[in-house]
Amino acid sequence: MSETSDTTVPVTVLTGYLGAGKTTLLNRILSENHGKKFAVVINEFGELGVDNDLVIDADEEVFEMNNGCICCTVRGDLVRILGALMKRRGKFDGIIVETTGLANPAPVAQTFFMDEDVKRATRLDAIVTVVDAKNLIARLEDSHEAEEQIAFADVIVLNKMDLVSEQEAAEVERRIKAINPYAEIRRATKSDVPVEAVIGRDAFKLERILEREPDFLESDEHEHNEDVLSMSFEVDQPIDPEKFNAWIGGLLQAKGPDLLRTKGILAYQGDDRRFAFQAVHMIADGDFIGPWKEGDPRKSKIVFIGRNLNRPQLRRGFESCVASQGAA
Amino acid sequence: MSETANDADFLLSSRGRSEDLGAWVIGAAFGRDGRGCAFSLGDGTLRLASAEGEWRRLEAHDGAALSLVADSESGFLSGGDDGKLLRVSAEGEIAEIADFGMMKWVEHLAAHPSGLRAASVGKTVHLFGKDGAKLKALQHPSTVGGVAFDAKGKRVAAGHYNGASLWFVNSKDDKPRVLPWKGSHQSVAFSPDGTHVVTSMQENALHGWRLTDQQDMRMSGYPTKIRSFSFTAKGRWLATAGADCIVLWPFFAGGPMGKPPVELAGGDSVVCTMVACHPQHEVVAAGFQDGLVLMAEIGSGKIVPVAAPGRGAVSALAWNPAGTQLAFGTETGFAGVVDLSKR
Repeated sequence: MSETSDTTVPVTVLTGYLGAGKTTLLNRILSENHGKKFAVVINEFGELGVDNDLVIDADEEVFEMNNGCICCTVRGDLVRILGALMKRRGKFDGIIVETTGLANPAPVAQTFFMDEDVKRATRLDAIVTVVDAKNLIARLEDSHEAEEQIAFADVIVLNKMDLVSEQEAAEVERRIKAINPYAEIRRATKSDVPVEAVIGRDAFKLERILEREPDFLESDEHEHNEDVLSMSFEVDQPIDPEKFNAWIGGLLQAKGPDLLRTKGILAYQGDDRRFAFQAVHMIADGDFIGPWKEGDPRKSKIVFIGRNLNRPQLRRGFESCVASQGAA
Repeated sequence: MSETANDADFLLSSRGRSEDLGAWVIGAAFGRDGRGCAFSLGDGTLRLASAEGEWRRLEAHDGAALSLVADSESGFLSGGDDGKLLRVSAEGEIAEIADFGMMKWVEHLAAHPSGLRAASVGKTVHLFGKDGAKLKALQHPSTVGGVAFDAKGKRVAAGHYNGASLWFVNSKDDKPRVLPWKGSHQSVAFSPDGTHVVTSMQENALHGWRLTDQQDMRMSGYPTKIRSFSFTAKGRWLATAGADCIVLWPFFAGGPMGKPPVELAGGDSVVCTMVACHPQHEVVAAGFQDGLVLMAEIGSGKIVPVAAPGRGAVSALAWNPAGTQLAFGTETGFAGVVDLSKR
């Protein structure tokens, strides 16, 4: 219940294609003089050695949950490993999970929402995706996972900047922002980003949702349905919580597999607090996160990152959640 | 409040010994020959509780202990996340049976009086014989969540993703009988008569198979994961944790199919985390999330408190073979042993 006395251990998830520089970043985090101890969960096909006291070799095991929902998958190995690590608590300050290059980040993220033991003992700090500035565009063309790793990212380390021109880098950033404008992009060479940029982000905390105001690209230029895109909608009038729950519940149920990440900050009618909401595929989480700032406009906003997004339909849906009183 | 707490602590204070061990209690076990009581901890140590009230500390694993069981004849088996499978005598001598290497967790253990031992490491169940000799390594499609021998020591079962595998220990061809059921299966147990296999699942449910006709049994409706379950000595009941009471499924008169479970010691909305059935009688010991430990007689429903709440969620619970002593430990490192023998 008491989320405030946060005794949970933060978990950072490192994703990125093979050769993008994940392990380099991992070793950089571990070797830096920050006085923190990490437990590291790596996969068996790691590229380089990892130098750390507590390294756990994981075999990525993606399990479907028996709840009739095909996109409800968890990482069985993580459930097991995090559960066991909690028994030696106090020996480390955080956990870093490195995924294989081809991994879809959804099962990892969902593990933190679906498994009660994991939820009780740990919190997802951030998903950090390392991408290769030189090769990302080609990867995005041929791999769903590369898109998903961008879509799920809270922080993107745009690595190997020494291999690209400024023009190429700008184009890569444009492509990243079309998929996920909310991720913070950090340019790097040999994964040289400050540790604080990737650790201790608390990006999944409801309080921090949509904290960043990105330069949103309404890029309608090439909307292949198969491409991952993000769309954002705003309304000025207060939202009716019941209408919203009915709409979002139905939407996640029907479109869950296509909706990678959904985030929203809502102004409910008759309530002075902001309501924050997030979902990974069908799995949603929401709560009040404190009052609206005096004088700030009480705008409700929702962001979808996913495939096959129907802009007019989503807009109409969200607008239909406006409370009838005061609305036309 | 303090009065009820004192009442609930009557057995622990009058007939028990307890200690704050300072680390998560992973497991508790008594030697099969009646000698020794051991606790294994999240800091990698083992503690031996003597009858005189001494708590001896043994440095066992470089890391965390992951599982502890009574060994075949006497002493204990301990597995750790340092890849070591250790045999620990009742006197505290440690011998290494196997070293699977750092990063290879020895997660689940089982031992049989005949001398057989099973240890799961990742997807493999390693079988060892009486003298510690390696007999075979049984491979599974995914990481093993639990291992168990049947009462005769003829078969070993392993729970994993999408089912459980049954292996005949002495089989030449080593092909398992796979009991399929969608989902991730963890702890596994045979019914004492060897006719049923039960697993706990990632979902808040148990699954069972009747081996004669492979009929499936779904035991669901739990509010949390089921971390512990145990058959009564003659196999009439399956006692389970995972609800705010002890849930008992009847394995007689055609049950558990179509029969509702019996619920005992419920009513205060605290989740039961551990259960252990008495080795002879239809009595079940249970530990709860708030630290309460109690015993319940199944026939009469009579409840006897053993230890009061307030010392951390119960994470380990074991009877000695004679059923005269009960050991328990908690997530916050409290451990106790209570002597229930006639005086």
